Amino acid sequence: MTATKSPSERPSASDVVVRFPDGRTYCGPIVDLREIEAGSPGSLSRAALRRAVVAGCPAPADAPAVEAPPPGPVHECAASLAPETRLDRRRALSAVAAARGIETPHDGELAAARRALRRSTAGAVDAEALRAARRRAAEAGAETERLRERVATIRGRVNALREITAEPEDAVDNTDVTDATDSGARGSNPGDDDTGVSGAAAEASLSEATRRLSEATRRLSEVATDRVAAAQRLDLLERRARAGRDDRSARLRLEDRVGNLERAVRDARVAAVEAEFRDARSRFASRIDRFEDSGAASPDLRDALAVVSIAPVRAPVVVAAAVAEGLGGPASAFELLDAPLVIR
Amino acid sequence: MLLVVTYSRRARETLRNACRAHEETVVRRFGRAALLEETEYGAFLACRLRERHGADVQIERTEPFNEFADAPDAVREAAAAYERRDSPSTPYDKFAAGTDHPRSAAMREREL
Repeated sequence: MTATKSPSERPSASDVVVRFPDGRTYCGPIVDLREIEAGSPGSLSRAALRRAVVAGCPAPADAPAVEAPPPGPVHECAASLAPETRLDRRRALSAVAAARGIETPHDGELAAARRALRRSTAGAVDAEALRAARRRAAEAGAETERLRERVATIRGRVNALREITAEPEDAVDNTDVTDATDSGARGSNPGDDDTGVSGAAAEASLSEATRRLSEATRRLSEVATDRVAAAQRLDLLERRARAGRDDRSARLRLEDRVGNLERAVRDARVAAVEAEFRDARSRFASRIDRFEDSGAASPDLRDALAVVSIAPVRAPVVVAAAVAEGLGGPASAFELLDAPLVIR
Repeated sequence: MLLVVTYSRRARETLRNACRAHEETVVRRFGRAALLEETEYGAFLACRLRERHGADVQIERTEPFNEFADAPDAVREAAAAYERRDSPSTPYDKFAAGTDHPRSAAMREREL
């Protein structure tokens, strides 16, 4: 089995080509970079190589460039095989089935639901206008209450002052002026009152208070009208918002439908390849057990190896040196994984 | 109580998380809606939802419906009489014809 080609050999059409900033080039179905010195720290890490595989060409001047077919959905799940590899098993298996073009009974419904969702327009609701209307209604209400209290206070004062000043004919008569119809304490002289204000001053206060009362009453009437207008506007905007909510509810139902169908499709895809995956996984088990003895390997690594081996992978997978060695060396790893490899 | 209804997946998710985290303030959950206690904290949670999701959240303030105080006598009596009717398949307006009970159309026109 071919190992990495020497720089003088020409790459064949299906080979991966890895080009470094300093010009060094390696190609082959297996690109073994285990012995290669890094030009600068980190430029030759597995992460850098993985980025290069995903990004393709052209690459930044200080990074390696990888010429190879672009990665597919399986590759997204298992781009790198190393002791610390993690894998979303269901997602990966679903991607394997999709890559093979396996169809499910829900494919048609899912496509239709997605189309309907794309077509649906979520009714525009002017949230800002609603917010402003709510605030305006609240302010108008608070202002109305405030003025209502003010009017009541002033009215109370006006009434008190009227009681004091409403005895013009008896102003000089000190005799008892108690009137049978009076309910208040009227035994005191007119002109005297509980507030300690004398006659003329009371008259002045009364006219001032009366003036203030009619001013406050006028303002209360304005503000109360405002409040009604604000409430009506808010009501109108709320009604409009309701239509927008109808659209959004419909959209939400569609989104849920798409989500449920996507789940159903994924479950069907996973089921289609599950048996093959388990077989592949147990084939790797014995090899990885030996490897796992020498260091911590994530439980997902075995899964990832099995996934790559059963999937039609065309973009190169970056394999850790330790994993390649655990699988019996680059050639053996290539045979087992059936995918282009970059070993580092 | 405060009724919160969501209109997007993200708003629904936020409501779900809030209900899980603040069970003591949740009176009832219904999937994409919930009834919250009418405390400052309930209002706080409602305000947070509105801040985050704007028009994708609807918030109403509810009161228990007292049919004796909140509905006209005629409406309440019509409902009671209709539920006691002899023939189950009679639609309401047919039942009400020839009686003093209010017609559906008229009731729909009048706000409480």
